[in-house]
Amino acid sequence: MGLKRYLANKTLWYLGALAVAVVLNFLLPRLIPGNPVDVLVSKLGQGGMSSEAQKQTYEAFLREFGLDKSLWDQFVLYITGALHGNFGASFSFYPTPVSSLIEQSVPYTLALQLPAIILGWIIGNVLGAVAAYKGGSWDKSVFTTSLVFSSIPYYCLSIVLLFVFAVTLGWFPVGGAYSLGMSPEWSWDFFSDALTYWWLPFISLLLINIGGQAVGMRSMAIYELGSDYVNYSRSLGIGDGKMTRYIFNNAMLPQITGLALSIGTMVGGALITELVFNYPGMGSLLFGAISSSDYPVVQAVTLIITVAVLVANYLVEILYGFIDPRIRAAKSGEK
Amino acid sequence: MTNIQSSAVVAETEGPLVPPEPGAATKARPAWRSLNFGPRLWVSAGLILLITLLAFVGPLFYPYAPDQKVGSLYDSPSAEHILGTENFGYDTLAVLMSSTRNSLINGLLAGTLAVFIGVTIGILAGYVGGWLEELLMGFTNIVLAIPSIVILILISISLQSTDIPFLKGIVGLALVIGITSWPWTARAVRAQASSVGTREHIDVAKLSGARTPGILLFDVLPYLASYVVMAWVLQLASAILAESTLSMLGLGPSGTNSLGMQLHWALAFQAVATGAWWAFLPPTIVLTLISFGLLYLQSSLDEVFNPRLRRGKKKNLAAAAARRAENARKLAEQNEREEVTA
Amino acid sequence: MSGVLMRATNVTAVYAADSGKDVPAVDNVTLEVPDGQILGLAGESGCGKSTLGNALAMIANPPLYVVAGKMEIGEETIDLSTLAKGANEVHRGYRGATVSLLPQGAMNAVSPTLRIRNLVVDVMRAHKRDTTKEEALDRATDRLKMLEMPTRVLDQYAHQLSGGMKQRMVTVVSTLLNPQLLIADEPTSALDVSSQKALIEMLLAMVEKKIMRGVIFITHDLPVLSMVTDRLAIMYAGKIVENGPTEELVNNARHPYTSALLSSVLDPTEETRTKHVLGIPGSPPNLGNPPSGCRFHPRCKFAMDECSATEPSFLYERDHAVACWWANKHAFETVPMEVNQA
Repeated sequence: MGLKRYLANKTLWYLGALAVAVVLNFLLPRLIPGNPVDVLVSKLGQGGMSSEAQKQTYEAFLREFGLDKSLWDQFVLYITGALHGNFGASFSFYPTPVSSLIEQSVPYTLALQLPAIILGWIIGNVLGAVAAYKGGSWDKSVFTTSLVFSSIPYYCLSIVLLFVFAVTLGWFPVGGAYSLGMSPEWSWDFFSDALTYWWLPFISLLLINIGGQAVGMRSMAIYELGSDYVNYSRSLGIGDGKMTRYIFNNAMLPQITGLALSIGTMVGGALITELVFNYPGMGSLLFGAISSSDYPVVQAVTLIITVAVLVANYLVEILYGFIDPRIRAAKSGEK
Repeated sequence: MTNIQSSAVVAETEGPLVPPEPGAATKARPAWRSLNFGPRLWVSAGLILLITLLAFVGPLFYPYAPDQKVGSLYDSPSAEHILGTENFGYDTLAVLMSSTRNSLINGLLAGTLAVFIGVTIGILAGYVGGWLEELLMGFTNIVLAIPSIVILILISISLQSTDIPFLKGIVGLALVIGITSWPWTARAVRAQASSVGTREHIDVAKLSGARTPGILLFDVLPYLASYVVMAWVLQLASAILAESTLSMLGLGPSGTNSLGMQLHWALAFQAVATGAWWAFLPPTIVLTLISFGLLYLQSSLDEVFNPRLRRGKKKNLAAAAARRAENARKLAEQNEREEVTA
Repeated sequence: MSGVLMRATNVTAVYAADSGKDVPAVDNVTLEVPDGQILGLAGESGCGKSTLGNALAMIANPPLYVVAGKMEIGEETIDLSTLAKGANEVHRGYRGATVSLLPQGAMNAVSPTLRIRNLVVDVMRAHKRDTTKEEALDRATDRLKMLEMPTRVLDQYAHQLSGGMKQRMVTVVSTLLNPQLLIADEPTSALDVSSQKALIEMLLAMVEKKIMRGVIFITHDLPVLSMVTDRLAIMYAGKIVENGPTEELVNNARHPYTSALLSSVLDPTEETRTKHVLGIPGSPPNLGNPPSGCRFHPRCKFAMDECSATEPSFLYERDHAVACWWANKHAFETVPMEVNQA
């Protein structure tokens, strides 16, 4: 397969996946029996509103959220809105637009996840490769520790870390993203304050990501260790250092596609981690929206997560195409 | 995944160099006896057994019911209530046992469903091939690319507002988890099935007039058995974790206990911040043990089925090395003597 | 050591089995390669010929250990044992430069993410650290031109080359440093007939051009051996049983095993046309527990009492050596070919 064909193929697949995801994201919440506005208005009703006023509000909301239109018109509205970054207004914080709620939480989520995923991948792979190559007690301790961390559910580790290091030892603040009285701004004071809140959830995610990657890399590298090219390179007198490089280069390739496959899981796990630490990212926003039946927010958050994961996967696979010589340097007719 | 194939190749090329012990063949041991179950397998299986006992046998002997109000919010552990009470004043240990039971049932249902769908799709695609393979795998790859947590959340929200209690409970949740988590099993099984499909015994079966369903069931599936068992163990773990993720987001089974629901309530009632460790540590530990036990079980099964991943035990290696060095010394002496006499 | 390029004495190599027991795959073997000649090493699979090749190429890797053995080659005397501390580093210096290996599976002999040119540079630098890229590539280019191969292969990855081209490329890389001895382990077994021919012609040309001064050619493909080699050594169950000039050994086999091995090969001549192909009855012995005396006696048609009691030592008839009790009693006689007339 040539690089061009590979790229075209991947692009097509991801566009397909994106289309399916968007349709699902639109349709699934609309399978709710009745009408999301019912839920909202009945809540308002509990606040002691007259039935006449309720009816008016109900109709106003129906119009506002376009629920009086046909399913197809709703879909067109939904797509054009999403493309413009317009996800309508939140139910719970009416009339705050959903997009501004998301704008507030995205930076926190990115600040946690990007470094945790990238650093976790790098450190995990190096650890796994070294463990496989060194063998013996090194291998045993790295492998067992990694296996333990990779199998702890994200939120379980978060809860334990929070309890031990924040509640009991008091080394870190208990939950939140910044101190009371601070407000998010581009200032040194705010960043250094926010950093103290950032460490613990970050470490919690990082440890688990390292564990998962190290376990994967170790078995890939053990597999590579037994391959013919290792034996042949040895028979040519090539030294251990060079050979580790060969092994790493080859074992890393499946780890790259592995990263693409695990980004979704990592993101899902990280959402709950935010919840445990009360960290005001997308996970906490989603949680709040679910418990208050704020469907526009739920829908927008799930859509953004899906698109982000798909884009990340796509970029990783494209990168893979450029790195793997079997794709990059394939020539037709010479096989 | 690739390791299964590769180790089969290795076994073929390395096999003749060290012929099997003659005794092994003549005694006609059942095949599974020749597998090398390491201590890790026993440790992990024991762990799972222990948790299963806690969930299913424990309640028979424990005096408190999980829905019996015995105290108030977060009473500290006492002689009577070993793990104190949780936020509703129920006995935490009683709730823990019922939660564990529900989580295990959920995992079993969802994991089995996922493996069933995944294996069916994977075998069909891998063995039949052609347009069916393209279609099934295209579908699988698309589902695989969309983060499953999102689909889970969206479906669960819809289910939450249904009036059918069945769908809101453990079974409904298991259904949702099962039908969203099969794709990677399907993908992996397809790769295995298409390699099995090219083996000679399949041709023999075809020539003898067997029909496709029969071939799939009797000639392909048995060769994937070890693989399916490992996939099932992994699916169990991931289904149990998916349940607790959803529960923590507030989408758990309504009106009943589960490990995730227990954590959900503990977080909602500030157990961590107030230091009520007995409310959140037990479910955290049980979840971790289940997850670790199952993954450990899977990885030790992997070593049983894939001897290549196995690394020699250090003690044995050292003893063997000492013996080898001793023999080498004797050999060298003998050779020297021969040289002198020659 | 006039006339002899390499003399390996008392080579013993063992596999560490899972049970902790060591299985000797090469048992106290002594072997010579005359200067400028090609020595063939033949035997059934599992007889230890590849293991002997690995021991001589100094690439034994756990679970294979060389426990004894000495190799005199050129001016050097090398301890082949892999047990001593630091043996690997000492051996590394000889690998590729003094003794080089042409491996069985050239298909995967080059890392898939490595351009051939980078491998060439790495090989040169492994033995002479300050080699520049240009020096290494100049040398490889000259060698390719000399052997009438396209130089563009240097810029390619292994997957871009055809099977035959890959095998010849690997041969060039193996002999880049003009090793004294090349050990070719089944180099032709994965190739089609025309690629086999091209490779063999290239090897012969390399010997003629004195790129290497001797070759050990390991294969079970007797027709290829009788065509290429100057001498033949026949191996059975970890021991060499017969060793002599190819033509003489083929026409005048002195060991019943050699005779049986030869008669199991189809030889397209007039008189063999009417013969039945004879297999060798029984199967190779378990090396963990070899038969007493001569290891071939349970399968040998000529077995006598002393065969199972005492191990025969080598009988030298000019430059033709054989370890067999029958041959001891029938000097210079050819083992009668048992031929079933059709």
